[in-house]
This record gives sequence, C-alpha cells and structure tokens, in this order.
Amino acid sequence: MKRSLPAAVAAAALVLTACGGPSADGPVEIGFLSYNYGTPDLGGAGMAQLVDTFEAEHPGIRIVPRGVPTAEVLTTLRAETAAGSPPAVAQIGWSKMAEAYASLPVTAVQEIAPPDQWAEHTAGMAQNVLAAVADDGVVRAMPFGMSVPALFYNADLFRAAGLDPDRPPTTIAEVQAAALAIRATGNEGVYVAIADAGKSDYLTQSVVNSAGGALVDGDAVTVDSPEAVAGLTAVAALTATGAQPAIAAADAVAQFGGGRLGMLVVSTAVLGGLERSAEGVFELRATGFPRFGDGPARPTYSGAGLAVLTDDPREQAAAWEFIRFLTSDRGFTTLAETIGYLPLRPAVAGAADPRLAASLAQLEEVTPYTAFPGENANQAVVALQDEAVEPIVLRGADPSTTLRAVAERIRALTAS
Amino acid sequence: MTGARPYLAPLVLALAVWVYGPLVWTGALSLLDWDLTSPDPEFVGWGNFAALAADPRFADAVARTGLYVLGMLPFATVVPLGLAILLWRRPGRASHVYRALLFAPVVLAPVATAISWRFVLHPLQGVANTVLGALGLPTPNWLGDPATALPVIVAITAGKIVALNLLLFGAALAGLDRRLVDAARVEGATEAEITRHVVLPQLTRTTAGLALLCVVVAGQWVFTNVALLTDGGPDGSTDNVYHWLYTTGFTFFDAGRASAAAVVVLAALALLFGAGALLRRRAS
Repeated sequence: MKRSLPAAVAAAALVLTACGGPSADGPVEIGFLSYNYGTPDLGGAGMAQLVDTFEAEHPGIRIVPRGVPTAEVLTTLRAETAAGSPPAVAQIGWSKMAEAYASLPVTAVQEIAPPDQWAEHTAGMAQNVLAAVADDGVVRAMPFGMSVPALFYNADLFRAAGLDPDRPPTTIAEVQAAALAIRATGNEGVYVAIADAGKSDYLTQSVVNSAGGALVDGDAVTVDSPEAVAGLTAVAALTATGAQPAIAAADAVAQFGGGRLGMLVVSTAVLGGLERSAEGVFELRATGFPRFGDGPARPTYSGAGLAVLTDDPREQAAAWEFIRFLTSDRGFTTLAETIGYLPLRPAVAGAADPRLAASLAQLEEVTPYTAFPGENANQAVVALQDEAVEPIVLRGADPSTTLRAVAERIRALTAS
Repeated sequence: MTGARPYLAPLVLALAVWVYGPLVWTGALSLLDWDLTSPDPEFVGWGNFAALAADPRFADAVARTGLYVLGMLPFATVVPLGLAILLWRRPGRASHVYRALLFAPVVLAPVATAISWRFVLHPLQGVANTVLGALGLPTPNWLGDPATALPVIVAITAGKIVALNLLLFGAALAGLDRRLVDAARVEGATEAEITRHVVLPQLTRTTAGLALLCVVVAGQWVFTNVALLTDGGPDGSTDNVYHWLYTTGFTFFDAGRASAAAVVVLAALALLFGAGALLRRRAS
C-alpha cells in the first residue's frame, strides 16, 4: 500500500496524541520537585497526601511530583534548566535561594498570581515571614516549609540525671551543664546539629545572630567577627568538655531517636521523625532555641520556599493554584501535623504540636535568613560549613583563625 | 570507500559521538567561564588553568589521588596475586567455593555496599566499634577523623578490587605452561622456588597491566564511597581529583574550571601511558 509522507506524518501525530501527548484542552501537567516528597522521616506521607488532595479537587491539573535530597535540589534544578526542562514548581531551601534567583528562571510568585487573589491569600499569612523573605519588596518564592531550630530533649534522661524536665535549659551554658549531668549517667549529653549533610547554614546563622553578630552585614562578609567567633566557640566548648559527641549530625539524630542522647538542637522539621522514633521508647519534649550570652535567642528560619520555574502561562496559572492550595489553611495544617513545619497562618496555629509553642513564639521575632551576595552564594555556604563550622565544632580547630581563613575565601568567592 | 572502511564506519561514528566529540567539547569548555545555564559564556583563554594552578584545594586533591593509588596498589596486585596462586595450587571443589565467595563483592551494588559500611562504621553504635569497645580497644570515628577516613575508604573499596583482580590473575594462571612447573618439580624445586622462579615470571605482564590500571583508575574506584560516605571530608581529607572535578562541575556549576581539571587529568594520563609504552619498547 502506497502512502504519501505528509499523510504518514499526520497519522503518526494522531497516534502520538492518542498516546497522551500534549493537547491544548486536556488537563495541564506540572512537575513538582520537593525534598519532602518520598522521604520516610521528612514528611513524605504528608506531602503525598497534599498532592493527592489537590489533584482530586482540581481535575484539570495533574501534578508530577519527584523527591530529591535537600543538598541536591539546586544541582538538579540547574542541570534540568541547562537541559531546558526544569519542573514548574520547586521546593528550594532558603540557604540555596539566593543562588537559585541568580541562576534559575524563577518567575516571582507574586507576579503570576492575580492581584486580588494574592491580596486575599496573603492577608491570612504571617506578615513578618512574608516581609523576611521578600526580595526588593516582591515575594519571589512562597514561604512554605518554615521551621526554626529548637531544643528537643529526652525527659526520661533528664530525670535519670536529676534534672527537671519541666525546666529545660534556656542558655547555652545551662545546656552544657545539663549535658554533662546526663553524660555522667552513661548517655550522651547534647548535639547541636550545626554541621549537617544538607550544607545549610541556618543553624550557624542562628548561633551567630544569638551571639550578637551576623554572617553578612549589608554586602560585607562578617563571618570572622568577634561575635561569630564567640558563638562558635560556645558550641565547640560542648565538644571539648565531652558534653557533645564529635559525630556526624545524621548519627546524632539516630542516637537521639534511640534514646541515648539527652538533647538535640535541630530544625523543628524533624519533629515528625523524632516522634516516631521516640514512641514507646522515651518521652520527647521540645523548647525554644537557647540564648547565647546576655541577648535574646535570635534563631533564623530554615525550610523552603516554593519557586515557579516555568514561563508557560497555562503552567504558571496551574502552579499558582497548586501553591495557593499548599499554603492555605489546610496545607499548613497538614504540614504542621505531619512534619513539624510551623503553620504560617495564625488561623491554624493550633495545628502545630503543642511542644513547639516556644518555637512558634520565636517565629514571631524571627531574624531573616541572610544570603551571601553573588552567584557563588551556595559555594560560600558550603565553604563556611565544611571548612570552618565542622572543624571548629567537631574537631577542635581554632575558631578565630579558622573563621578568618574561611572569611577570606568567602570574600574572594562573593567578589567575583 | 573500499576495503574494510565501510564496516568500520558505525564504530568510528559511535566513537566520534560518544568519546571524541565530548572530549573536544570539554576542551572548548575549559576555555570558558560558564555555569551551563547563563546565556552568555565568557571566553577566558587559559584563565581556568591559571586558577587551577593557584588553587591549593586542587593541588591537595591531586596529591590525595596519588595516596589513593599507593593505597590501592597492593590490593590490585600483591593480595589478589597471592590469593590466586593459593587457589591455583589446590584445584578442586573447595577452590571453586572460595573463588565464588571472594568474587561476591564484585556483583554487589556499590551504593548499597557504601550504605552498609555507614552502619558498620557508625562511631557509637556501629558493629566495628561495638566489637572494639568490648575488647577494650580504642573506638575511632572512622569516617569522621581526617587521620583515618582515607585509609578506611581505601580498605572498604579494596574488597571489590581484590575480587576482580583475583579473577584476572586466575585467568592468567589458567593459561600458565604447566610443563615448566612439572619440570621444576622433577628437578627437585620446592613449592616456594617454583612460585618465585617459574610462576611469577609468567605473570609479570598481567601484574604490570593491573598495576597500570590501578594507577589510572584508583581515584575512580573510590568515587562512590567518597561521594556517599564522606563527600570529600572531613577537612577535605578524602577528596580526590575526580570528586573535586564532579563537585566543581555539578555542585558549583563552574563548568570551565571543572573542564580544565579534566583536561589536566587527561594530559597527565596520556603522559603516563606514553612513558609506560616507551619503557616497554626499550625493555623489549
């Protein structure tokens, strides 16, 4: 049977369309990259539940979710952008956001939302958080998984060490004393998860801020300021005195979950995972981030924002619908109940675990996360964490000289 | 076109697309300052190579690649050679069982193996330190201490290399001229003398080949364990040139500098092979 080439091409196109190719009036399909999705302990189930609920209520939109480890989100997105196929919506950690803005095709979420919907939607959100994440007055990535570092503690180990679990430590000096008391009972004392595999510096910033300093002052890199040295020296002293084991953060979280570590200073986001580990093993409690010195505790937030990476108007509209759902009262309720993220809508503050009351109160005064300037922001954060924070805190490197050396490197990285 | 050329075309085309094309592209990238996503790559000439030369981290990574080679060499040559000779001397069912057991690490998934080691080497609850602690011995933080991390990476990578090279030495021994061995026995030579003067000389080429292979790819053999267990740390003590290259290119997206490093590695290996070929030619 003879057939002309155009007819064959047309037939092939018809077959392809029937097999699920794009069509103008079918459901719009958007990719969603998330570091919670698919995880056993970081709210994988909660995130899957949110996606399923959204799809059931929005038959015209299909979400294609994908899980990627926290530290690989930016790498994956940059690689996919280079290949020309980034997902429409991505959950990007705040420590990577500056580089994401510089290197990815991020369309400000505030600009794709219809103004009336934006005003209505954000009216019920924590205004201080929206202000903290705004870039030149525009919200580019929607605050989503927000958490602050908190002090989780094992009430049973407190009692065994003669400590009162109703009066947890509130300063780093009290933390050290309590940890040494727990250590005397044959368990490990405390672990401040300041150097973790996620390579975020939110805890470093929280320590330095609480010590009265900052990593960045305007455009100046101040990681070697006396306050930064004092803050990290206090954490290093935990290790030097034996109050803190010199192990990797993931190992410490496992120790805490197994009931063999008294205190763990880490993001509230791990509450869900810790709770599962603690069930039937020990009584898990939490309190706010400790003070360093005379000033108040000034934790910064960790977690992620939702960024839109598509320039297709139909996909952008679907992305806004999805983001609106995820950051609605219902979305934040699920996040708070399943993960330990803090609900950013005062109306559903009650959804948060009551143990996070102190953290919620600290969120009211949250210090904005500061990013190093320039395109090498992420490299600067990795340098700070790997070349200064980890050796100082876990291996006894001299805080002053180590921070000075890394400050020079970060200045060189951020100057180019 | 006549003769064999048309038959070679598919192979030549595949090589051009998959090997030499990317090689040329890497060379071109090494002259650019580009993050793979921005629309305007900047031509910097030899700038990336100058930056490499001035970067102490790259120099450290190169030096540690040498340490990995030195650490892996015995496991690529002496250990599998000894085991292969032991198995060859006692042919039979037991030898087959041992060979199968020793070969097992080769077929295990590298990522799964690395994660298993993470549990074994956990500083507080790992099997290794639990046993050492029970015996009253020191319990190091194997992967968290710059002094022990690199030797540990070498040791846990070694199992796979020993197993693979045991197979290759076994194949070489299978082709050994047994008449020479029998003749030596008739002459009253001891087993040690037979091994030293009859067996080993016939395995020289195999041993040299596997040693050269180790020099070239030891850094790549340890890559999975470095990436999964230490990420180049602590304090950069397990970083090698391949991990440095990967991190620079695909974590920090400095494609130019990573490509320059790849060109340097390629040139170094070419020199190494050239020198090896020259030595062999002189020797023969």
